[in-house]
Amino acid sequence: MATVKLTDVKKIYDNKVVAVHEFNLEIKDKEFVVFVGPSGCGKSTTLRMIAGLEDISEGTVEIDGKVVNDLQPRDRDIAMVFQNYALYPHLTVFENMAFSLRLKKVPQEEVYKRVTEAAEILGITQYLTRKPRALSGGQRQRVAIGRAMVRDSKVFLMDEPLSNLDAKLRNQMRAEIIMLRKKIDSTFVYVTHDQTEAMTLGDRIVIMKDGFIQQVGTPNEVFEMPDNLFVAEFIGAPKMNIIHTQLVKSGNKYCVVPYGTKIAVDGHKGELLASKKVESQDILLGVRPEHIVLTAKSNPAAIPCTIQVNEMMGSELHLHVITDEGGESLIVRVPTIDLTPAQRGAMISGAKVYITFESKVMHFFNTETEVSLLTDKENVPVAQKGEAPVDTREMSKEELKAQKKIEQMKEPKEKKGK
Amino acid sequence: MTDTKKYLIEIETPDGVLVTSEQHELANTKYSADIELPEGYAVSEDGAVEQPVERTETEEPLAENKRNHLGLKVSRTITNTIIHIVLIVMSIIWLFPFVCIVFESFRVESTGQVNYIFPKQWGLDNYINLFTNTNFPRWFLNTFVLGLAVAVIQTIIVLAMSYVLSRIRFNGRKGLMNIMLVLGMFPGFLTLILLYKLLSGWGLTASGGLFGLMLVYTASSGMGYYVSKGYFDTIPKSLDEAARVDGATRAQVMFKVILPMAKPIVIYTVLMGFMAPWGDFVLAKYISHYDEAGMNVAVGLQNLIATNANKSANYTTFCAGGVVVAIPITILFMCLQKYYVEGVTGGAVKG
Repeated sequence: MATVKLTDVKKIYDNKVVAVHEFNLEIKDKEFVVFVGPSGCGKSTTLRMIAGLEDISEGTVEIDGKVVNDLQPRDRDIAMVFQNYALYPHLTVFENMAFSLRLKKVPQEEVYKRVTEAAEILGITQYLTRKPRALSGGQRQRVAIGRAMVRDSKVFLMDEPLSNLDAKLRNQMRAEIIMLRKKIDSTFVYVTHDQTEAMTLGDRIVIMKDGFIQQVGTPNEVFEMPDNLFVAEFIGAPKMNIIHTQLVKSGNKYCVVPYGTKIAVDGHKGELLASKKVESQDILLGVRPEHIVLTAKSNPAAIPCTIQVNEMMGSELHLHVITDEGGESLIVRVPTIDLTPAQRGAMISGAKVYITFESKVMHFFNTETEVSLLTDKENVPVAQKGEAPVDTREMSKEELKAQKKIEQMKEPKEKKGK
Repeated sequence: MTDTKKYLIEIETPDGVLVTSEQHELANTKYSADIELPEGYAVSEDGAVEQPVERTETEEPLAENKRNHLGLKVSRTITNTIIHIVLIVMSIIWLFPFVCIVFESFRVESTGQVNYIFPKQWGLDNYINLFTNTNFPRWFLNTFVLGLAVAVIQTIIVLAMSYVLSRIRFNGRKGLMNIMLVLGMFPGFLTLILLYKLLSGWGLTASGGLFGLMLVYTASSGMGYYVSKGYFDTIPKSLDEAARVDGATRAQVMFKVILPMAKPIVIYTVLMGFMAPWGDFVLAKYISHYDEAGMNVAVGLQNLIATNANKSANYTTFCAGGVVVAIPITILFMCLQKYYVEGVTGGAVKG
């Protein structure tokens, strides 16, 4: 029904904090785009700028080819679902869903038709007479979605709609949103901080950090070919293992040497490195926990490790291991289906295991810029080092006082007169 | 790990295309996984782990638990008893004058002040006297009309003010709030003389005092926004945003979303506006300027006992007037108490 185009969109708050930097994105008609990133990365701000709830400091937002920068939310023809549902507590479920139609003065029978249809799809028909407070979290979320559905608007905006639900319900609602999406057939922009939601729901994922877009791509692309270290670590759970090591080029062959073990980089990844004429250098080697396998001591590519923690997840074990060389901790995902009871029992804290991985699961990143060595793209955001964690703010009097008090506790109090 | 076997994977797409591929197999799995146990450990075929034996000491269960429990109960009873005694004493002290006034109003053996509490003769003479021989009905009506008018005007101003200060961010918002806070700290008496001059210039004193009072009460009502702004602040902003996305204008947000949810605070504001004129004495006295047509109940009743001669003739009538004034307000309070409490405490609880 509608395209959304953001050109050089920027958000600067009154206190000069830049929340979103040059945001460029074209959302195609009927596409499901997910904004994902850690909290404070500007994803919600961007969504709210599309909705018209935040002013746009610079750049333009177009909906269906029309610049909407100066339009009120009510004139943009959008529907939005909020994180905390934002249902009107004094209205029944029916009236909540009919609210926007009543404001538009839609005829009674049309209101009835649309609301009951939406309620039917969402399975909340029997709750239409209730007030929101008499509903469970999942039901409330359904009403919130229903309220957006009846509007038949061009763009459907969702701001972390599932994050207030418990894990089980969230999975269920996620599946429902996928099915719902087929029925509604509209353009979706979905904001979440949960990479699982992003991967399962999105046609395309926009990964953001500190107000910058890190990568835009299909779930497959961002998982298989992350442009930089941030994307690599953010997508996938448990997160990717990062190993400081060297990439060694000898002739036309490459190999990596994690923890003193030499593993050849052959196949597709090797060819790619060769085609890009990558030289020997220090690199950050990324390997996902599910791509590391247990192996025998006699395997020349084996890295000896000691198990620190063994997390039993049911279908798989998450082994937190410490490498014998280097003493760094890695996470290994081991499917339990292949293990004998004896093997499973033996994986206790302190046991020694041997791990290895193949070249096709490796990711290579520059140690300085943290950009992937294999990416073809230009303008991949470079890691901003040493900026974020420094707190330059001066301590207030109160804080100084508190700090003094804490420091005094370090030494045992001496009695007076000594 | 078990031996690796090769299977073909076949996937049929919805349009009937058959995709065949070899199972994904990691080359390194041809090595079986070696696991070395730490020293002293052993593992059996079915996966049971034998640990090296370590001696652990068992702790004695605490015998004190039960005593602690009993102690808690006793101390709670003592605290409750003390609190109740204090509350009872306080309420006796507090209620005493009110009870006295009620008794006085039914006393018929004399009309002046006496040094005992219980009347020797009971009767309704004072009430009859109040409604037939004094201007009390006029004062009562004056105050009632004044109360209604102030309640309506003040509620509109206060709610509009609170909504703006709670929801809309504009330059000088903080400054405005600070100025009003500082202005509110000056006692109202300071402006008495000036107000009188102004109002008398417009002819709004003495018999026109009613309008004068109405003007003064409502003119500054915007300053009383604190409580209702605090209440509005507890209504989530996302409700406004949802309504705006749903197509509502600012005014529609206010009337269709915020106000229905702020019912307790609306009632609280109305109640406050209605009650103010009943209790005001200083300003009302000054502006009415001894003209009985412009008096409210407080000034009128005080006027009854203004001189010593009047006091001995009218004291019990004065008490009857006090009781009559209390009746409508008490009824109003009893009906709306639920909302009143919600209005005052709502902000604190909802968070």
